[in-house]
Parts: sequence; C-alpha cells; structure tokens
Amino acid sequence: MINVTESILVITLLSVLLSLGSTRLIALVKIMALQGIMVSLTPLFLRGDDSLGSGAIIFFQIMILIKGLLIPSLLYMAVKKIAIKREIEPIIGYHASILVGLVILIISVFITSHLRLSLPAGHDMVLITAITTMAAGFFLMMARSKAITQVIGYLMLENGIYLIGTALTKHSHTLYVVEFGVLLDLLVGVMIMGIILHNINSAFDDADTTLLRRLKD
Amino acid sequence: METYITLALAIVTAPLFPGIILKVKAFFAGKQGPPLFIKYFTVMKLLRKGSVYSTSTSFVFKLGPTVSFTTALIVLLFFPFAGSMPLFSFHGDVIVLFYIMGIGRFFTVIAALDTASPFEGMGAAREVFFSTIAEVTIFTILILFYRLNGSLSFGEYFTGETHISPMNASGALLLFVIVALFMVLLTENSRVPVDDPATHLELTMIHEVMILDHSGPDLALIELGSFYKLFFYSAFITHIICPFTFASGAVNGLIFFAILTCIYIAIGLTESIMARFKMDLVPQFILTSFALVFFAAILTMGVLQ
Repeated sequence: MINVTESILVITLLSVLLSLGSTRLIALVKIMALQGIMVSLTPLFLRGDDSLGSGAIIFFQIMILIKGLLIPSLLYMAVKKIAIKREIEPIIGYHASILVGLVILIISVFITSHLRLSLPAGHDMVLITAITTMAAGFFLMMARSKAITQVIGYLMLENGIYLIGTALTKHSHTLYVVEFGVLLDLLVGVMIMGIILHNINSAFDDADTTLLRRLKD
Repeated sequence: METYITLALAIVTAPLFPGIILKVKAFFAGKQGPPLFIKYFTVMKLLRKGSVYSTSTSFVFKLGPTVSFTTALIVLLFFPFAGSMPLFSFHGDVIVLFYIMGIGRFFTVIAALDTASPFEGMGAAREVFFSTIAEVTIFTILILFYRLNGSLSFGEYFTGETHISPMNASGALLLFVIVALFMVLLTENSRVPVDDPATHLELTMIHEVMILDHSGPDLALIELGSFYKLFFYSAFITHIICPFTFASGAVNGLIFFAILTCIYIAIGLTESIMARFKMDLVPQFILTSFALVFFAAILTMGVLQ
C-alpha cells in the first residue's frame, strides 16, 4: 500500500521548494492553496484507524475550506486588484533561495534527529516537514520585497506551526479549537492586508515594502 | 523470449509516441493535427533522399548522426521494458549508459561545430550547458536509488527482489523523483519549457539548430535517435510509477504502454499550456529538479534508516 501520510508530507515539501523558486505571484498563490489543503489533510491520515468524532470532522472540513479555498482566493483577488504579476527584484535571488531551501531541510533533519523527542512512530517525517515549512516561510518573509509575498511567507509559517502542533500532541479537540482561533485571526489579517495593499497601491503606485521604508512623518 | 518481444516492440513503436504529442498539441490548438504515424512517414521520406555535405565539413560531420543513433539504441538494450529481463545487464550499467548517452551528445555537438556555422556553435554551447546541469540531477537520482535498493543497474532496479516501487517503505519519496525526472526528460529531449522543437528562429533554438546542416538519411538517424532517447526517459518514469510484477507478460505490456501513453500525453499537455522559458530561467528550472531529488536523498539519510 502507498503510505498516504508520507505522500502528503512529500507534496507539502514539494510545495515549499516550488514556492521558494517561483517568480510569478499567481503561481505562488496556487502553490499556497495546494499546501494549505495538504497541511490540513495531514492530521486526518495521521490518526490512523481511530474513530473520528463528528466535531473533529467538521473542524477539519472548515480548516480545508479556509486554508485551501478562502485565504488563497482572497490572496488571488488582492494580486489581481493591485496588478502585480511577478516579484521583480527579490532581496535574495531565486537560485540562492532554492539552495537555502536545501540547507533548511538538512538543518531540520538534523534538529529532528537530535531533539530526541518521544514522538509516536512515524511522526519524524511530520516534524521535519513542519520545521522546514516554518523556516522556509520565515525565509520567504525576509527575502522578498513585495508585501503580498511577505504575507504568503507568513501563511507558510502558520502552516508549519500547525504541523508542529499535529506532530507533538495527542489529538484532542481543544488543540483544534486553539488552532481554529489562530486561523480566524489569520483570515481577518489576510482580508485587511488585501484592503490595505489596495490602498497603498492606489496611493503610491507600488506595493514594494522597500519603498515604504523611505516614508517619513 | 519476452525480452526480445518487448525490446522489438519498443524499437518499433518508439516513433509512434511523438505523434501522440503532436495530436495532443493539435487538440489544444483546435486543429485536426497530423496523422498518428507522421513520424514513420517522415523517417521513411528522409531515408529515401540523398545526403548533402558541405565542402567545409570533414568526416566528423558524417560520424555524428551514426554515433548519436547507435548510443540511443544501445541504451534500449539494457532497459527492462515492462518488467522483462533486459537483454544485457551488469552491475553498474546505469553509469555506463548515462555516459554512453553523453558520448552521443558529444558527437552531435562536434558535428555541429564542424560545420563552422555560428548558429550551430551557439546551440551546441547551450545544449552542453543545460545537459551538464541535468547530469547532476540524474546522478543524484542514481545515488538515491542506490540507497533505496543497493544496486546500480536497470535490471536490478526494476526486476530484482528489492525492486524500486512506490508501494515499498519510503516509496513516497519517489514522488520527488518522478517530478524531477520529468523535468530532466523535458530538458534532455529539448521539449517545451526548455526548448521549442517547433521553433523557426535559429537564434532561439537549442537542439534543433545543431542539426540544421544534416539532411536525408543522416537526419533520419538523428530523428530516430531522439525518439529512442525520449522513449527511454518515458519508460524510466513509467517503471518508477508502476513496478511491473504482474503474473502475465501480456498484462505487464498493456499496462506499460498505457502508462507510457499517459506520460507522452503529459508532455503534450505541458507543451500546450506552457510557454518556453527565457534562457536565463532554464538553469533555475533544472536546478529545481536537482533540489527535489536532493531533498529525497537527504530524507532517506535522516529518517528512514
């Protein structure tokens, strides 16, 4: 049998790597949608044969809806509205970003094997994916100059944190309630970001954060 | 017996599949497209013609097509099509085979340089540059496979006791390999995001520009060689997707050709929905494929030991 959990995690890693190398914002948003869906599917398959309560199933479905559909579509609208097609001058180039992605992966494998956490069997891979996703999101926030890419980096960071949560905890509803609260914050954040970006763009003709730094009172 | 049948089938049907790519592209363009057997017609037409040789070329130019065709054919002899035993096999043959393909490319390149045409020199430089990077990916895949099943030959990869299969432990990592190998396939066979086989401008060509001076039977040999190369890469991906361990040889063969057709359709799809990259984006594309396989290699070392 194909190991479904591992496949999902591998696709998540794939999306992390592609997001580090992609130049077009629309492609980046699509990759984020895929990653969101994969990340929210992970706990479903990690549980194995335990019976799922109806509450948990509803939580997971809403999670997929928000991470895979709602947030990406808001981002998509923002990208369309401010008409940026690609990141022209990233602070760190794309080749270098991919190499950094490799280094991040090596470090997270190293961290996972040296933390000696008492993880349940098969959760090693989840922790590696989680740390990689988190660090890559953090890197994306630092390495790109457009505000919208930084928001996408923040979303990736959140995906990583969610995965760490699933790797470390025994599954209980309370965890998902907390996660759900975070997700709601995120959703509101992305919405506000869309509105603010639109305003910045119409006021200054550009949404590049390096230009915003020069603003004075 | 099965070996000979599958090998013969592979050699005979290889020119059929590029016709499928053309059909898919024609479908997306809303055209009827050329007939499926177009490549057979092309090859037969070319074989009937005579060759024209420029007075400025030497024997190297005539050697190029023959060597590149032969190398492509040799590789097929070592490949276990549809899970049958390969015709030849020895420990370490993958390394030899990838370098034999390197020889084929080398002779195409020096034949191109021999014509002393500036365009062909340019194409040769690009071809060599891109395939050098692609080689890194291929050898990382070989390292990964060695870690997964401890062998270094196509026969042992796909027919032995511990054959490579997505069903095995750490089989999920093969997802990386499939994606990366598909990217290498597009690069090595000069398909769309890297090179456009249908372009008409010498300045933007990579592979096509190197064979502009060849004509008649020489061109037919080059074309056949490129069909075999594409067939080899597609068969490689097919075997990674599905290990052919079913009881009957006929079932194996049917599934093999079904998946193979899907891969060619995927190539056609890629060509229909993507534009080719700017030249400076191509190394990044190939490096991404390397990064994917390297990811997988790291994961085998860290976790799944």
